[in-house]
Amino acid sequence: MAGRALGRPGGNAPYWFLAPLFAFTGLFLVLPLGFSVYLAFTRWNPLGEPRWVGTRQFEYLLTRDDTFWATLSNTFVFAGALVVIGVPLALGLAFVFSRARGKAAWRAIYYLPQITSFVAIAYIWQFVLDDRYGLANRLLGLLGFRGFDWLTDPTMAMVSIVMVMVWYDVGKNMVVFSAAIENVSKDLYEAAELDGASAWIQFSRITVPIIRPAVVFVTVTSFISGMGFFALILAMTGGGPRGATEVTALYLYEMAFQDLRMGRASAGALILFAIIAVLTVLQFRLLRERKA
Amino acid sequence: MSRLATTALALVLPVAALADGHAAPLTMAMHYNQDQAAPLLECLADYEAETGQAVEYQQVSYGEYLQTVLTGRIGGTQPDIYHLYSIWGAQMADNGVLAEPPAALADFIRAEYGTTADAATIDGTLYGVPTEVSVYMLVSNMALLRDAGYDAPPATWDELREIAEAITTRNDQGRVETAGFAFAESSSGAGVVHPFYALLASRGMDVYADGFAEANLDSPEAVAAARDLATLVDDGITEKSVDAYDAFPAGGAGMMVMANWYKSAIEDGLGSLDDVVVSPIPAGDDWKTLQYAFFMGVDSDSPNGDAAWEAVRWLNSADSADDSGVSCMGRMLSSIGALTANASDNAAMGEADAFTQPFLDALADGRTVSQPNVMQAAEIEGMMADAIDSVIAGDADAEAAMGDLDRAVEDVLFEFY
Repeated sequence: MAGRALGRPGGNAPYWFLAPLFAFTGLFLVLPLGFSVYLAFTRWNPLGEPRWVGTRQFEYLLTRDDTFWATLSNTFVFAGALVVIGVPLALGLAFVFSRARGKAAWRAIYYLPQITSFVAIAYIWQFVLDDRYGLANRLLGLLGFRGFDWLTDPTMAMVSIVMVMVWYDVGKNMVVFSAAIENVSKDLYEAAELDGASAWIQFSRITVPIIRPAVVFVTVTSFISGMGFFALILAMTGGGPRGATEVTALYLYEMAFQDLRMGRASAGALILFAIIAVLTVLQFRLLRERKA
Repeated sequence: MSRLATTALALVLPVAALADGHAAPLTMAMHYNQDQAAPLLECLADYEAETGQAVEYQQVSYGEYLQTVLTGRIGGTQPDIYHLYSIWGAQMADNGVLAEPPAALADFIRAEYGTTADAATIDGTLYGVPTEVSVYMLVSNMALLRDAGYDAPPATWDELREIAEAITTRNDQGRVETAGFAFAESSSGAGVVHPFYALLASRGMDVYADGFAEANLDSPEAVAAARDLATLVDDGITEKSVDAYDAFPAGGAGMMVMANWYKSAIEDGLGSLDDVVVSPIPAGDDWKTLQYAFFMGVDSDSPNGDAAWEAVRWLNSADSADDSGVSCMGRMLSSIGALTANASDNAAMGEADAFTQPFLDALADGRTVSQPNVMQAAEIEGMMADAIDSVIAGDADAEAAMGDLDRAVEDVLFEFY
């Protein structure tokens, strides 16, 4: 008894303290996830009973549903652009503002979109990017240009969505980078300056290698959130024009809640989950190898 | 003991209330807001005073109606009385959600509502009382037509193209400023799909064949209808980015194919309807158009089914008529500028205004075809919108796009028929 008490002070108390967390996780994570996995092998609209169909939903999505593949392609473009454009931009801004006056104010300004509703953001940008009356094209018109079909041309619509998403996300990533940059010893920069290192050399040879964990974190989380994101797209373009901005998560949302195909949508979600998981592991390994 | 007492009290109280002569309140879920539903709410108060049966009104937004109903059903909190867009009906009926009305009420519906009873009919079974009816017609801003040198709206598609081209102006950037014709932009795709239905019906072709087992979307008629819409953009007569919902009330569009329910928005935007003319779909003498409807139905699991049907009957029949002779539902629909297909109500209301009368005439003259109550209708119409949009944008040839669409739609139909 004495040995047991020594091995686990407080008896079962830790488990009692953890019990609410376990219950919450079970109720809101494990249970829905398990149900979703089950649904992926059924045909179910919530009006009736689920009917077991084995792997047919996966077969349909992977072999017959061209739209599913098109949305996956859109998803990779969206998530990829978010990482390729958004992460370096946030890093650059964080570095610049770390040396600027009023850096706290700049960071707050860039963080503002994060505390704004997606719907409000979508409406504002719709007004700015409207083909005929939008501010962007009006300004381009003053300069003698025709302007772009920002939200009605398939290519430009994706460009617009990425642009707005980068604008939305850059502040959050910048804050993470800023925190990491603040922890880099000032001595290193002073020594580099004494050796005549330019700001770019200091950034690329000192800052980036030291804050690599933050870069890995932001890259991976940006990619994951980009792969599963759709709220802004739903509010801004609804996936249009002609499916050009229809990402997989949005397609699955519509499949589940508009077309009432819960089984197929669950199967699609599992496929998307598997893709994200594999790519995330690959990203971690690649970035770790580079570190080594 | 105290918990037991509370439980017992909770069980006993409703029974006591019923024993006291108060029937359990019914719940009715509709998408109209409180202002729109005001006449109906008054009627529900009258109904309770008259019969002792309370009916609670639940407003559910149109965009979330189906999801709310589904969630409610899973949780056992579904309403007793639904107010459904007809194309949702097939899935609800297929899953046993909807109850069939009593025989006497079914007879009443068939006698009063003519072809609009089809909107509430799925696989030959009637599931409710049609309420709000929407019909698509050509709506023209005559001021713009006259400025372009035309005194009357077009009667054929070629005339529409000619007039639209004459009206269209572009700004310095080459973008359409005033559109001769504009498509309505809606998330469901109805802005192109519903005019497509009208053009297809005018060519004498049904969307589906063989009891919904096959689609006619690759037929020459369907390809031609899609091409009619597409060439308006392809030939530079209009741009898809001009949204009729915004442009027409703002005086920036000459013509659109639109349903009657947009009347108040047009009136608000233009200031009056004096110079707005509603005319047949410009498809020649054999023109047809699309009608769709909402209908009132009762949940098959409702413990108060009989009372719910009685309330539905009362609201839509002469029993709820006031001095004007119009039923309660008819008065509410009239107050928001919506149409009813209830023959008695239409007779009692007499001649409508110049804007509304052509829509009613189309219904009365048998020019309308009902939106098909097919399984997965919303999904299929989304597919149709994507295909027609791609033709309009010039991304795909009409024949190839409609052929692909036909195959995709028949894939969906194969699951159910």
